[in-house]
Amino acid sequence: MMTKREFLSELEEILEADPGSLKGNEPLNGLEGWDSLAVVSLIAMVDEQLDMTLSPKKIAKAGSVADIIGLLGDKIAP
Amino acid sequence: MATCTVSGVRLAGIASAVPDRVQTLASHAAVFGEADVRKISDSIGVKSRQIAFDGMCTSDICFAAADRLLNDLAWPRESVDALIFVSQTPDYVLPATSCCLQERLRLSTRCAAFDVGLGCSGHIYGLWIASSLLVGGGARRVVLLTGDTSSYICSPLDRSVALLFGDAGTATALEADGSASPMAFVLGTDGSGRDALIVPAGRYRNPHTAETATRIAEDNGSSRSAEDLFMDGAEIFAFTLREVPALIQAVLQGAGWNIDEVDAFVFHQANQFMLQHLARRLKLPKDKLILAMEEFGNTGSASVPLAMSARLAPRLRTEALRSVLAGFGVGYSWGAVALTCGPMVMPDVVKVSGEMVGAVSPEGR
Repeated sequence: MMTKREFLSELEEILEADPGSLKGNEPLNGLEGWDSLAVVSLIAMVDEQLDMTLSPKKIAKAGSVADIIGLLGDKIAP
Repeated sequence: MATCTVSGVRLAGIASAVPDRVQTLASHAAVFGEADVRKISDSIGVKSRQIAFDGMCTSDICFAAADRLLNDLAWPRESVDALIFVSQTPDYVLPATSCCLQERLRLSTRCAAFDVGLGCSGHIYGLWIASSLLVGGGARRVVLLTGDTSSYICSPLDRSVALLFGDAGTATALEADGSASPMAFVLGTDGSGRDALIVPAGRYRNPHTAETATRIAEDNGSSRSAEDLFMDGAEIFAFTLREVPALIQAVLQGAGWNIDEVDAFVFHQANQFMLQHLARRLKLPKDKLILAMEEFGNTGSASVPLAMSARLAPRLRTEALRSVLAGFGVGYSWGAVALTCGPMVMPDVVKVSGEMVGAVSPEGR
């Protein structure tokens, strides 16, 4: 279980983005650093921290950071 | 099939060989840009690979390993009862490459030789097949060859594969031995993963056409044809997380070992990021996870024995090591074995020069 802010911090690290720069609604295809390595890092982080395996197909369908957060369901505290 | 335990089989030795030709990742900077190459290199843990000379086949590299191993073991050539060649880059569509190697290695015509078409899981499957032949198939000595020249099937313009794969070939000698300690195997398959790691065209499902051989650029700039290797890294990673931790737990249970009793974990060298993540999830002691990616890359079915030759040879020559070997990937296919191996014959990694293409063992071996 993690908070939305904690998740965004983890995602900032994966994307090598400045801490606090993600608001949580950014479209993915504009996001710098969002490449195939970032997807794998995200799957790894969610596996390690939330004990959950994200589906690559569902990640590919996600349009925004909010959609990714949606995939995590009740593992993300509001 | 759950766990399968085999008794009465001993690993007599392992030899690994690589083409004597280095290709660094830095040499790809012109195509992919320095920044991308560095980022990928850091993630996969590869700095260079050994790449086959033009015209060199997997069989040539495996030949070099087998010839060296049989000489070091002083096994008369006619004492080899079976020869298994595991590869996804055989010499020909037909005949089987193992038949060609029977002649080149001067094995007896009473030797049973056959090919097995597997990759990442290939060495584990090979050990299981070889062991089964020794226990139930009437063989007393089996030589298992595993390897690939993946460089031939990767598009040099595809960043997901061009930097990762290297070429190698290995030979493992097994023999019947009533006093050998048991080996526990766990194997599995999931064909729904077919499209995650595939060369889609060029054989019979999608025959070669001018179109299948044409490289097409993707959004990220990578370029490949339908006759080049396609790899979906995210899907394979998700598959690994689904299956491999449970696989390792199952094989440990099959052997009756707990994790601290294992001396070495040698996993298929798929990529360093994934291996280190698995090690964390399984809580493997850091020094027990064997890594040999930096100078070899991902060498398919050769990667487990090559990692043993490159990192464990000094110990395996003199000690018995409780080892867990695991291979997982293309297919999807996976397998793991828990075994005690060593002391055994382990030459240093053999470097194969261009002159070795088509080489044959001298007479009188």
